[in-house]
Amino acid sequence: MPYIYINIILAFVISLIGTLIYRSHLISSLLCLEGMILSLFTLNALLSLNINFALSTIVPLILLVFAACEAAVGLALLIIISNTYGLDYVQNLNLLQC
Amino acid sequence: MMYVVFIMSVLYVVGFIGFSSKPSPVYGGMSLVVSGGLGCGIVTSSGGSFLGLVVFLVYLGGMMVVFGYTIAMATEEYPETWGSNVVVLSAFLVGLLMEVFMVMWLFSGEHELVGFYFSGLEGLMVLGEGGFEYVREDYSGGASLYSYGFWFLAMAGWMLFVSIFIAIEVTRKRY
Repeated sequence: MPYIYINIILAFVISLIGTLIYRSHLISSLLCLEGMILSLFTLNALLSLNINFALSTIVPLILLVFAACEAAVGLALLIIISNTYGLDYVQNLNLLQC
Repeated sequence: MMYVVFIMSVLYVVGFIGFSSKPSPVYGGMSLVVSGGLGCGIVTSSGGSFLGLVVFLVYLGGMMVVFGYTIAMATEEYPETWGSNVVVLSAFLVGLLMEVFMVMWLFSGEHELVGFYFSGLEGLMVLGEGGFEYVREDYSGGASLYSYGFWFLAMAGWMLFVSIFIAIEVTRKRY
């Protein structure tokens, strides 16, 4: 069982690194953010089930609600960027030129 | 197939490496869907069938669908896969190698790590399914959201309601 926890924490770290490193698309970083939330959900669900504490099953559900709101706002920002520049390349975000 | 849960968690990590190496977002979304399905399998194997269903319905069926058509809107003519770009392929191979080395290190004897003792694979045997649950924990936990966790429910519902307005006003550039 600890092996599975290690793999899920490793998946969180991998998608955290993916969020912080930009390539060409902005939506790839949003996708890695969604991956972070998926790994947190899986970890929370497994912990709640394995310590047999039924009330803490609320935590992964509420986490998913917050993740949905965050994805909505992130995608709205992406839409504005895509409307202004045509594509969501991060090299277009160069208003601050220093 | 006693170790199917461990294999599922290793494939889960490989799926994460697949979209973290940043191919074109179409392929990243596909990899996230595969990882979501495997995560559902891992959660269901510990007895949480409700939470696995929540992953499929809410996460994959709700959020990933929205990501899917947003990606279809903001995509390019020649999407790059894992095999068409050296950077993406090398990032994927580095991550894969790291996972393989970690699995080999885990199974090479006894280790102690933050209070967990790793010795062999005997902790991963899928136990028999003979009626050990008289109370479905995840269903009763999800139901307690409406009784004990009423304030959680009220705040989550209010937050979803407000975020609709936030998304509308942000898209109209009235921030």
